Amino acid sequence: MHQMNPVNFSINGRPMRAAPGETVLSVARRNDIPIPTLCHHEALTSQGSCRLCVVEVSWGDRSKLVTSCIYTPYEEDRIETDTPRVRTLRRLVIELLLARCPNVDVLQRLGWEYGVKPGRLAPEDGRGKERCILCGLCVRVCDEVVGQHAIGYEGRGVERRITTPFNDHAAACIGCGACVYVCPTSALHYEDVENVRIMKEFQTRVELAQCRQCGRRYAPAVLIEKVTRCAQTKEDDRHLCPACRRRTFAERMSAWMQKQLPDARANGDRLDVTTRAGG
Amino acid sequence: MMHKCPEQLAAVRKRARARQNHARPRILVGAATCGLASGAGPVLEALRAAAATGAEEMEITETGCNGACYLEPIVEAVLPGKTRVMYGHVKPGDAPMIIQATVNGTVYEERALCRVDADEILLEDVVAPYRRNGLDAALERIVARDAHPFFRSQRHIAMRNCGVIDPASLEEYVARGGYAGAAKALLEMRPESIIEAIKRSGLRGRGGGGFPTGRKWEACRKAPGEPKYVICNADEGDPGAYMDRAIIEGDPHSIIEGMIIGSYAIGAHLGYIYVRQEYPLAVRRLRLALQQAEEAGFLGTDIFGSGHEFTIQINRGAGAFVCGESTALMASLEGRVGEPRAKYIHTVEFGLWNKPSCLNNVETWNNVPAIIQRGADWYAGIGTTGSKGTKVFSLVGSAKRAGLVEVPMGVSLREVVEEIGGGVTEGRTLKAIQTGGPSGGCIPATLLDVPVDYESLGALGSMMGSGGLVVMDNRTCMVDVARYFTAFLKEESCGKCVPCREGSAHMLDVLTRICEGAGRAEDIPLLEELSVVMTDGSLCALGGSAPNPVLSTLKYFRNEYQAHIDEHRCPAGVCKALLTYRIVAEDCSGCDACVDACPSGAISGDYSEAHVIDESLCARCGLCVPACPQGAIILQ
Ligand SMILES: Cc1cc2nc3c(=O)[nH]c(=O)nc-3n(C[C@H](O)[C@H](O)[C@H](O)COP(=O)(O)O)c2cc1C
Ligand code: SF4
Ligand code: FES
Repeated sequence: MHQMNPVNFSINGRPMRAAPGETVLSVARRNDIPIPTLCHHEALTSQGSCRLCVVEVSWGDRSKLVTSCIYTPYEEDRIETDTPRVRTLRRLVIELLLARCPNVDVLQRLGWEYGVKPGRLAPEDGRGKERCILCGLCVRVCDEVVGQHAIGYEGRGVERRITTPFNDHAAACIGCGACVYVCPTSALHYEDVENVRIMKEFQTRVELAQCRQCGRRYAPAVLIEKVTRCAQTKEDDRHLCPACRRRTFAERMSAWMQKQLPDARANGDRLDVTTRAGG
Repeated sequence: MMHKCPEQLAAVRKRARARQNHARPRILVGAATCGLASGAGPVLEALRAAAATGAEEMEITETGCNGACYLEPIVEAVLPGKTRVMYGHVKPGDAPMIIQATVNGTVYEERALCRVDADEILLEDVVAPYRRNGLDAALERIVARDAHPFFRSQRHIAMRNCGVIDPASLEEYVARGGYAGAAKALLEMRPESIIEAIKRSGLRGRGGGGFPTGRKWEACRKAPGEPKYVICNADEGDPGAYMDRAIIEGDPHSIIEGMIIGSYAIGAHLGYIYVRQEYPLAVRRLRLALQQAEEAGFLGTDIFGSGHEFTIQINRGAGAFVCGESTALMASLEGRVGEPRAKYIHTVEFGLWNKPSCLNNVETWNNVPAIIQRGADWYAGIGTTGSKGTKVFSLVGSAKRAGLVEVPMGVSLREVVEEIGGGVTEGRTLKAIQTGGPSGGCIPATLLDVPVDYESLGALGSMMGSGGLVVMDNRTCMVDVARYFTAFLKEESCGKCVPCREGSAHMLDVLTRICEGAGRAEDIPLLEELSVVMTDGSLCALGGSAPNPVLSTLKYFRNEYQAHIDEHRCPAGVCKALLTYRIVAEDCSGCDACVDACPSGAISGDYSEAHVIDESLCARCGLCVPACPQGAIILQ
């Protein structure tokens, strides 16, 4: 049943209360109970694909493993986050990922923590040179947060890859770099070269706009357009690079203060600069 | 059992009766996909041509598959007032003789298989004998179907109309009690009492999971949210399984009728049938049946004057095995990528478009009208405590009589394989039965007395699945079998979750190297650990059940794994890399024939002296074996 009310349950013996629809992972994080994750990000829909966040749930005399990033507890569930069964599963998941991506430091650290014996799963067909663990965070951030849906999956099974439509320049890409930022294994990169931003893994080049003040190429033009549309920044701010924008802002601010301060003093008010200027 | 006959149904009944009263000879050709593949098309043409030359009026129609696929092309001739004759392995050249015999009210003995003396109309609990007059001596000589080894212990409920009616005819379906169940349900029963009946019948899902159908319907009915959907899973992705195809091709209206009943019980007004891409004939048959049902008023608004409204749409599957999984199927119906999602939220509450949705398999839907018409107690009287009714199995592999077999739950595997299937090909011995499709398990011949029901098969580490039964003889290597199924599942893994995606690939790597003679001592425990992570950790049941072929063969045939790994030997003589060709010195005359035959230059020896094969050069092509006039070269 989809819960309409808060749910009382326990994690590692501690009584817990989940808000309606709240996952075990979210409750655990609120209470500083560590659960490792690879494909979860609080800003994105969980898809439960890396299976690292498994925990063991018992009710009555039965128990099973569930993925805590999508599992919403039932009343009286007893959740354990570190049983032998949980640890075994996490160890094997990490071992599988390490065989695919031996050079990813997040995985190396996890492997060390969970006691993965190295070298047992040496793939025989060239798998094992990857950095991408297919957590899908980049696809989801581009879709759900940026709203561009510029990248997606191709192929199935171990052939699955993250790519652009038709493996070609992604027309929908605005070069915002959210995918690069969200990637847990540094599998994605971009580089700004002269007047273009190159999304290296996606064969995509986006033109960089020039700052109207200093002339520096500072952000993709299409990104600036989108941000303007969404955030309704001031017309004259949006063509400035961050440094020039900060300077302009500071100048405007000091001019404004010069004007305000005498009046304020006259009224005997205290001026709350932080809220009024920063808000 | 007579019920109030609504107007819409009465009209079709009248047309049906008018047809039946003609009582002229009639010829039916099994023209389902399996029949057509064995040459039913030319047979049908030849029969039509032969009939056209005669004066006698004769009806020649297509019908579905009656299950005896090993005998196809199959032709049946109805001799009015006498009997129905079944012919097998019919060639176009046989057509004139069959037509002549039918005109004369007798049989063409050359191709005759058996005689069906009565027409069982299951839904009305009627057994109508054809025979009014005596049969001639030739007809008397033919074995009755009830005594034919392939048919005698079968019980056709799901296949009640397959191979009996013309699937393109609504009248023929109705004439055998069709749509009376839907009329009864919609006019005389309340939704709750239908659900109660399905629950009491003990019907469980035939698509693999075996979930109690009545409980699923109840949960969906009670789930808040509108609209609700009913869906038929006709994706049938198991290689070698084709019972759903046979039911759709042979009896499409039975599924529509089941869905009408279900929609009323659940409170749904729209249904979807998700059909596998590779089933063009099934899609055609369904389209026609839907059109007929709409024209007759069995679908649409105010069905049978009950006020219930229901329509059905057909969707073509995306062609991946995983699309048969419930959440992937619904994603695919929505036009998204057919990938599973975790089912902590049940699809009966949040399914298609996030609305309450009830998904059932073809065979599940098809059983529903029979339960409604004959009653829950009748159905619950067939089968075992936990598994009720009958199940259709596709018996393939080295069974002598391969085909679709429908038996009551709980008969022994032995009865299905040895009695009905006739055991394995002459000169071989039965080794194992693989049940449950690609992610099922292998049951050794020693356990053949296991009853076929959900619990018993599960207890042996296999499963009912959708009903695949692959018969394996002594020439099968069980490691190779595990490798074969794992390779299939690895290809079909969608790649969303780590355990299935990466685990199946490693599992295949390990099995392949064992088959190639490069197995390592630690490979067996490694396979077991990979099984743990896939079983316990996969997101959907594809990955969760993918280790079954490995686990069940490890359980019952571990010594074969060990022989491969420790002794570099394939006991069944299948794994090529582990075979050695050897020349028996005593038998070798030193004629040099093998030296000439060997493309790898691996054989040496002085003329008229015993020759030897250099194993390091031998490519294991086997060309030397037939070349040796002495038969001195053996395979070990
Ligand atoms: C990988 C996978 C493939 C499946 N394929 C099919 C299929 O082809 N046909 C089917 O009816 N059920 C299939 N199932 C089972 C469905 O998920 C679902 O349980 C079933 O359709 C429910 O209907 P039932 O209760 O009538 O059996 C599959 C399940 C999995 C995990
Ligand atoms: S178990 Fe396999 S098929 Fe199912 S979601 Fe995971 S990768 Fe996809
Ligand atoms: S974080 Fe839950 S499955 Fe990846």
